[in-house]
This record gives sequence, structure tokens and C-alpha cells, in this order.
Amino acid sequence: MLTLNHFLVLGAVLFCIRLYGAITKRNAVAVLMGIEIMLNAVNITMVGFSFFNTQVGQYSQRLTGQIFAIFIITVAAAEAAVALAMIIAIYRKRDTVDVGEIDMMKW
Amino acid sequence: MLYQLSWTILFAPIAAFVVIIFGTRPWDLLSRPRVEAHTSEAEQHALPEKGAAGGVSHPATDHDDHTVHDNHGDQDHGADDDEDPKVAHISVGARVSSYVAMLVMAFACVYSWVLLVSTMSSNALQQGITVLSYNWLHVANIDYSIVFQIDQLGIAMLVVVTTISLMVMFYSQGYMENSAGYARFYSYLSLFVFSMLVIVFSQNFLVIFIGWELVGLSSYLLIGFWINKRSRPEEQRPSPAEASLQSFIMNRIGDVGFILGIMILFANTGSFDYKTILANVHTMNPNLLGVAMLLIFCGAIGKSAQFPLHTWLPSAMEGPTPVSALIHAATMVAAGVYMVARTFPLFSAAAPFALEVVASVGAFTAFFAATIALVQSDFKRVLAFSTISQLGYMFVGIGVSTPEIGVGPGMFHLFTHAFFKALLFLGAGSVLHALHHAMHKEVQDVRLMGGLASKMPITAITWLVAVLAISGFPGFSGFWSKEEIIGLALQQHHPVIYALTLVTAGLTAFYMLRAFILAFGGKGGKFGGLWGGPYRGYGEVHESPKTMTIPLIILAVFSIFAGYWTGFFSYVNVTGVHVPNLDFATLLADPFTWVGVVIAWIGLGFAWIVYGRYDLAKINQFVQSNALLRTLHRILFNRYYIDTFYNWLTQFVVLGIAGLAQWFDAHIVDGIVNGVAFGVTEAGKGARHIETGRVQSYMLGFFGGVAVLAVVVVILVSTVWK
Repeated sequence: MLTLNHFLVLGAVLFCIRLYGAITKRNAVAVLMGIEIMLNAVNITMVGFSFFNTQVGQYSQRLTGQIFAIFIITVAAAEAAVALAMIIAIYRKRDTVDVGEIDMMKW
Repeated sequence: MLYQLSWTILFAPIAAFVVIIFGTRPWDLLSRPRVEAHTSEAEQHALPEKGAAGGVSHPATDHDDHTVHDNHGDQDHGADDDEDPKVAHISVGARVSSYVAMLVMAFACVYSWVLLVSTMSSNALQQGITVLSYNWLHVANIDYSIVFQIDQLGIAMLVVVTTISLMVMFYSQGYMENSAGYARFYSYLSLFVFSMLVIVFSQNFLVIFIGWELVGLSSYLLIGFWINKRSRPEEQRPSPAEASLQSFIMNRIGDVGFILGIMILFANTGSFDYKTILANVHTMNPNLLGVAMLLIFCGAIGKSAQFPLHTWLPSAMEGPTPVSALIHAATMVAAGVYMVARTFPLFSAAAPFALEVVASVGAFTAFFAATIALVQSDFKRVLAFSTISQLGYMFVGIGVSTPEIGVGPGMFHLFTHAFFKALLFLGAGSVLHALHHAMHKEVQDVRLMGGLASKMPITAITWLVAVLAISGFPGFSGFWSKEEIIGLALQQHHPVIYALTLVTAGLTAFYMLRAFILAFGGKGGKFGGLWGGPYRGYGEVHESPKTMTIPLIILAVFSIFAGYWTGFFSYVNVTGVHVPNLDFATLLADPFTWVGVVIAWIGLGFAWIVYGRYDLAKINQFVQSNALLRTLHRILFNRYYIDTFYNWLTQFVVLGIAGLAQWFDAHIVDGIVNGVAFGVTEAGKGARHIETGRVQSYMLGFFGGVAVLAVVVVILVSTVWK
């Protein structure tokens, strides 16, 4: 029997794995991938909540979570485009995409 | 009507001051040629080097009374003071300034005499009438009013102030002729007289305090009148600027006590008014009243230069001599005595110790200053110490008095003293003026004088009159007033004060005649050295111009006849009780009077024999050869080292405390402020290393924070918010 908890645990595990990946990876593209999957982990929880919400009667009235998921997908697409453009620009300028070396804005 | 309009006397001098400052003085300044003014200024900048280098340096302690030396302070004529040879001819504006001041003062003087004559027989104004009242503030049911009143005590003082001021102004035409700032001088004189009249007209402590401070200010301006003049350490003379500052600060010390006393009285009686305070004074704790009156007396100590705040008065000699005459005779130092006389009912309500302190301070100061005056070689400084001494007599006169006798004796001595002290100073000014013209430098040392009587007979004869008056020679005004005080001290059972005043009378006679013979006589003169003799300076000395000798003659007449006003005691009576009048027959019949007279004669005779028969050098040799006399002379000559002590006190104690406070401020207070700033800066320097620039570390911080918050929320949810 599939319950809400399955969705939540999957979302949380996915989120934590990719958070670890985003924090530890040196490659900017890998960090970006981590962020994308973190967003999708959140989407899973959203959809799960939407589906298993028993407080509201009609199914058609439980669409809030799903709409949020669609928004996040849209924003993630835009974000991916911008981030990749930035990574390409940095690569052209500095010949590297190592986030450990991109630290010009430190003290 | 005549009495009601007397406020015009008060406001006449301030009107003259305004007219001169805003009218005739700018006229004077604008009418002077510009180019000349510029060159004289350039000269002033160029010359000081020369003056500072000149002069034979005498170590202060070895400064020798009786040795003739004529080479101290050999500055060029006009280089060392504000005498500007280029303005020898006073401009029209300056002349008009002096005429405005004199005309106004003549009006005030005549009006005062009219008031005096009209009240003399009737005693109509004994209780006083209010002539001008202005409600300044009204706070919490208490009126702070500026009220001026006129009563007979005030009229007696008015006559003195306006007459002496008129004489001084008339005299200054000659004396200040070559000085820069002629118009300014007259404006300051007018301001000074106004300040004094505020005190005279005061009806409450608020007004008298305003006048008190105004007198302090205007004396500061006048003592420091020759602002460019330098100090002369070899003669122990400060510069006028220093002297004016000293007098101002010394007066402030006394004024602290004065204002505290006023506040105590005000807090306990709710009024500044003399009469209201007197009516409510019985509600006060007598000890508190005594303390308040002693504090008020502190103000008088400062203003009237009593021990221990007397050191400013000899320094104040650095002002122009007419100013010294005004300060010493009528305006400034008399203010202290007048204030004590004015508040005499309060002093006697605080009896007995308030009045005893007044009398004791007075008697001690009289004796103390007289001993110093014995050996001073500076002509004006002898007079300065004699003033301090005579003021001591006045305080004795008030201090040993009772309500049944009133302030008459003390005020009577103030009245007579004003005339002969003004005469002494103006005469001294006449001598200095003549010597300045003869030697082309400023000479105040009696060792450079001698035998001047035959050269300037009018000055000499008037000076002799003043000397006899101050010595208490029978028949002169000083005799009546001084013997009255000495007799009163004995009559009121103050044997120590009696003895001190009696000895002081002898000392006074001695040092005054000594100064006279040193300046005007000498060995080889007529009448046993009294008249003429060898002149120890150089140059041709001539009698001063008429503008200077006429006031001398007028004042000499007053110095003789001021003592014959027998109704004075009841005239100035402020207590309202019937007081006995000055009775010449009783005074002359009293054998104790003649004790005083004999002592004064001994003083006079001793001075005559010593200084008339022997050369200065010989007297000096005798004094120096005797160890005891030499030590005594040195102590007295250095004024008991009190100035030195005050200098030491200022230098080490006051400046030491100031240094400590400065250290505390620089290191503790500033340290706290700077330390906080330093700490914040350092913390910021450390904290900015968090800003690594690496995206991932920010991310770690962000999510770490969220995790911590989540943990906190979970704990709270599971425990507290259940």
C-alpha cells in the first residue's frame, strides 16, 4: 500500500543525497545538477501532499500542490538555462568550472 | 519727584558707554589716518625683541629696597606700553568721547550732591524708596525682580562714586593723553561707574550680584587696558594682561561663596529682597544663617581684597593710575564694604560670630598689609597695600559694631578714605606722569625719585595732605573716622582687635610718610628732609598740567573737610534704631583717642627722622648688616611669600589635580571610548573571514542553519508546545 510517508521519505532521501552532492562536488555543472534534483525532490513531496490530502473533499480542489510542482519545474528550467550560461561564461573567462576556485568575492 | 528720578543717575553712565562705543569711538577710529596706523602696528611687531632683552636682571629675592639703581627696564620710550607717539594729538572723536563721559558724570555728580543736601537735614530717605522696578521672571510663585532703590546709605555712596569718578575722568585727560585707546578708556570708565551704581542702587541680592559681576568685568577690562605691555620680572611686576586675569579669577573665588550664601538665604526665606529676608530671617536655623552670612562675606573678601584673597590688588596696579584711583577709592573695593554695610542687619541677626569673623579678618588684614607696605619700593604698590589695610579698618568698623551703633563708623571711614586714597593715587599718577616725561620710560620705583617737592609743589602739598589724612593726624578727615573705629573696638571689648588697629595706625603713619619723603623729600631738603632734596633720577621734571592738578586740589579740600560731617552716622543708619552721632567733643576728650594719635605721631616722627636725615644707601646698609632686620625685610618685601605660595599652589596642586584629571580623561574616559571602537574593529576583522567567497560554504551554512532550526522546532514541538 503506497502511503504519504513513502513519498515524503523518498523526497527527503533524494534531497539529502543531492544536498550532499551540491555541497561537495567541485564541478559547477555537478553542483547545478544537485540543485536541480533537490528541486525535484521537493516536487515529489508537493505532489505527494497533493494526492494524499484528505482534508478537502473534491479531488479537483486539491490541485495546489500540483500547480506548485509545475511552477517549480518552470523555474528550474529557467534557472538551469541561466546557470549554464553563467558556467559557460566563467569557463570562457577562467578556463575552469571548479567552484573551489571561483572565490573572487571573498573578503 | 526729585528722589523718584534718581534712576537717571544710574543709567547715565551706561548711556555714555553706549554713545562712546557706538558713536564717538568709531568716529575717532575712522578719522585717524590709515597709513600711519599701519606703520605703527608694524613697529609694534618689530620692537618687542629689543625691550625683552634690555634691563639688568635682579634676582627677585635680592631685590633691594634702598639701593639706587636706574638701569632697570631700559625700554625705549613708547615701545613697551600702548603709548603711541603717532597719536599724540587726540582726534576730535576721542576728545568728544571724553567730554560725553565727563558731562554725563558731571550730571550724575551734581544730582547726587543735590540728593545729599536735600536729605541731609530731614533724613527723609532713611528707609529708602523704590525708584525702578522690573519683573524679570515669575516662576513658581516667586518673583525674580530687578528692583532699584535709593536710600541714605546709597546716597552717601553715590556722592563718593560720582565725585571720585568725575575727578578721575577729568584727571585722565592729562594722564591718558599719550595713550592709545583714549576713547575706549572713557567708555570703560563709564561702564565701571555704571556697574558700581548698580550695586549702590540694588534692592535685592539678585541685582547686587549682577552689579558685582559687572564690576568684575569692567575692572578686568580696565586693569588690562594696556594689553600690549609686558611683565617685568625684575621688579616683580606682572603684565597688565596677567594682572587683569588674576584679579578676575581671585574675585571669582570669592564670588563662589557669595552666590552660595545668596542661594542659602533664598532657599530658606524664598526671597532675594533684603527687607523680606530680614523679616523672615528668624525662621532660619541660626547656625545656617551664620554660615550663609560668612559665605556672603567671602564675596566681600574677594572684592575688597581682604586676606587671603588680597593678592590681586597689588597686581591691579598694572592698570593705568586713574583706574587704580577709581578701583581703590570708590568703585571696586568699596563694593565689598558697602555690601556688608547694606546687609548689616542680616549680619547682626546672625550674631555674634558672623560679625566677629568680619572684624577679625579686617583687623588681621589691616595689620598684615601695613607690615608689607613698610618696605615696598614700588610707589603704587605702597598705596595698594595701604588700601588693603584701610579696607581692613572698615571691616573692623562694621564688625565690632552693634545694631545700636549701626554701620556708621565703617562707612564713615569708607567715605573719608575714598577722598584721600583717590588723592594719593592721582598724586602718584602725577608723579609717574612727570617722571615718564623726564626719563622717557615708566618709573614707579621710589629709589628713582626723591626731592620732587620743589619741582612739583602742587602734587607734593596735596599728597602731604593725603598722607596726614590717612595717618590720622588730628584735624584731617582720616583722624575722625579712624579714631572712631579704634575707639569703638575698645569700647565693644575687643582688646586684640584694638591692639592690632592701634599698631596698624602707627605703621600706616610710618610707611605713608616714608613714601612721601622718598618721593618728594630726602636728606638735605627743607624742614629736616621733608621738602625737596636730591633727585635720584635724571631728566627735567615739571609739574603736571592743570587737568591733573585741579582734581588734586579739589580732593585735598575734601580730604580735610570730609571728616566734619557729624550727622553721618544717623544719615547712613540702615537698622532704623536711633544711633548716636559722631561727637567731636567726646572723641577729643577721650584719652584713648590721644593714645592713637601719639602712636601715629611716633610713626610719622620715626619716618621723618630716618628718611629725612639719612641717605637711602645708609639706611639700606644698616638694615642689611643686621641679620634679623635683613630677614624681616626680605620676608616683608616678598609679601610673606604669599604670592609665591599661590604660584606654587597653582603650579603643583591645582595643575597637579588638573594633570591627574587630564590623565584620567585621556586614558580612562578616552580609553573606554577608543577601546569599544577598537574591539568592534577587531571583531569585524575576524568576522569577515566567514565571507570566503565560496558558494558551497554559504550553502553549507544556510542548510546547516535550517537543520539546526528544524531540530529546535522538533524539540519544542515535542516538549514545550505539546
